[in-house]
Amino acid sequence: MTRTIAVAAALCALLLLSVGVAVSVGQDLGAGAVRSVLQHHLLFGMGDAPDTTADRIVWLLRMPRALLALLVGGGLAIVGAAMQTLVRNPLAEPYILGVSGGATAGASLFYLGFLPPLVSKSLSMPVAAFLGGLAAITVVYLVAGSARRVSVARLLLAGVAVAALMSSLTSFITLSSPEPDKLRAVLFWLLGSLHYATWDTLAIPAGACTIGFVALMALRRPMDAMLLGEEAAQSLGVSVETTKQLLIVLSAVVTGTLVAVSGAIGFVGLIIPHAVRSVVGVGHQRLLPVCFAAGALFLLWADLAARFLLPSEQLPVGIITALCGVPFFLVLLRRSGYAFG
Amino acid sequence: MHLAGPVTRVVSLAPSLTEIIFAAGGGHMVAGVTTADDYPPAVNTLPTFSALPVDYENIVALEPDIVFASDQINSARDAQSFAALGIPVYFFSISGINNMLDAIDRMASLLSTETSVSDSLRHSLDSLSQLVHQFSHRPTTLMLVSDETLYSFGQGSYIHDLVARAGGTSVTAQLARRAPVLSDEYVLIKKPQVIIGAFGEDYEASDLMMKHPTWDVVPAVATSKVHSIDAGMFYRPGPRLVQGTWQLARLLHPHLTP
Repeated sequence: MTRTIAVAAALCALLLLSVGVAVSVGQDLGAGAVRSVLQHHLLFGMGDAPDTTADRIVWLLRMPRALLALLVGGGLAIVGAAMQTLVRNPLAEPYILGVSGGATAGASLFYLGFLPPLVSKSLSMPVAAFLGGLAAITVVYLVAGSARRVSVARLLLAGVAVAALMSSLTSFITLSSPEPDKLRAVLFWLLGSLHYATWDTLAIPAGACTIGFVALMALRRPMDAMLLGEEAAQSLGVSVETTKQLLIVLSAVVTGTLVAVSGAIGFVGLIIPHAVRSVVGVGHQRLLPVCFAAGALFLLWADLAARFLLPSEQLPVGIITALCGVPFFLVLLRRSGYAFG
Repeated sequence: MHLAGPVTRVVSLAPSLTEIIFAAGGGHMVAGVTTADDYPPAVNTLPTFSALPVDYENIVALEPDIVFASDQINSARDAQSFAALGIPVYFFSISGINNMLDAIDRMASLLSTETSVSDSLRHSLDSLSQLVHQFSHRPTTLMLVSDETLYSFGQGSYIHDLVARAGGTSVTAQLARRAPVLSDEYVLIKKPQVIIGAFGEDYEASDLMMKHPTWDVVPAVATSKVHSIDAGMFYRPGPRLVQGTWQLARLLHPHLTP
């Protein structure tokens, strides 16, 4: 028990420290500027009023961006872990049921003006992305499910097929777009970027992550049992079909929301659960919280790396997650005697 | 380069080169233009073909004596393909306004045309530089391609020369990459006094604020010095750069007389 508390405290300290670093890295704001802004906002207006430019940069740009990185990284990591359990396949990740493909197609359709004006007026880009993701996963679910049970093999195959269909749809839309400026914006979004973070847009992903985390923790025992196989889980008294359906719905809600705000940031949801399992084991009681923290930290540091590499510019964080994450993951796979499940 | 006979039919693979052909007095020889061409208005009635990727079939059907290509857009592989088709290709490398004026002269000699506007364009630039010389104030200027994704211009771009000729200081001149995508933070730090970009018609500072809400403290936004310009006059290295530089000078120095 004391060990658990120690680990939790260490992770929290690391998260706080990382956010501190994240709001300090970037354009040089002058000595003490970051501290003065943080003091002003966190200690209820104590200290001198900070410089307005520094205030805009630290409090309105860097801080929400750091928090969004934590939410997206953490959320994708726990959904990735749940998906790997659901389909009992180490290659599973949050996007395996076609959510990101659908979201991308939805966002492209909206952005490049291919939706009827009446529809696009009542939508925003994140909503269009969310609906696209939802549409894709619904198709996958309808294909894979029958009256009594959801077939995992069909789920996987339908997911791959729908993702491919959506990706070709996206390519077609982007290639036939007449507006180069909007096309650039979509390409940025496709690669996954935390650039659009604002305080106002944080509430919805925070809500989705909270729901996802609480619900997955509540399902930790059925999920543990499912690692043994569906029949074994059934004989242990787990209602396997209900668990599967709940996991699919949770994945749709959390992944759909996160992709809608930040684009399809890859690899976090695939590699973090594996990396964490090789340290804390396969039990979901520990796996899920540590996954959330590790995913949050990973994406925050990946975004820091992106901002550090090109300080004056934007580099989509999705490029960095693949660039840094994959070699690390390959080394981990090679070194540990890691076996899934 | 050896041409079989006098040039009577030409094809350009870049909108900037089409404009240069017209400026060099060879407009009547243009047999077809790319789908991206929109200037001068005479191109609207000409046959079109795709330039990216190059539509060889349609270009061969136009029976050009020579094809003009730009090393910014076309690759050496395009040249090989044209060589295999027996069509001579001439590559232009245009990296700035002086270079562009030289290209008009070179085009005129290749096409053996008499009339060329390059001298009057040079004269126009000289008179602008004399006018701008009077101003000691050089407003810091941010040049953007688009308002949402902040594509801008880094080291080696001719845009900084345009801004300098118009009496301003470009804030992105020192960025290492040629086509940087700026962060919101960078613009806040640089505090440009004027922001100019190809944002479309009837564009105002408040439209930019919608996309970048933290910029209310940026001087250009606070004082409503956000201007939209025609991309063709600035971001296409053709003869209209001169006209564009004048327009830029009037935006940066509203008191400029003529």
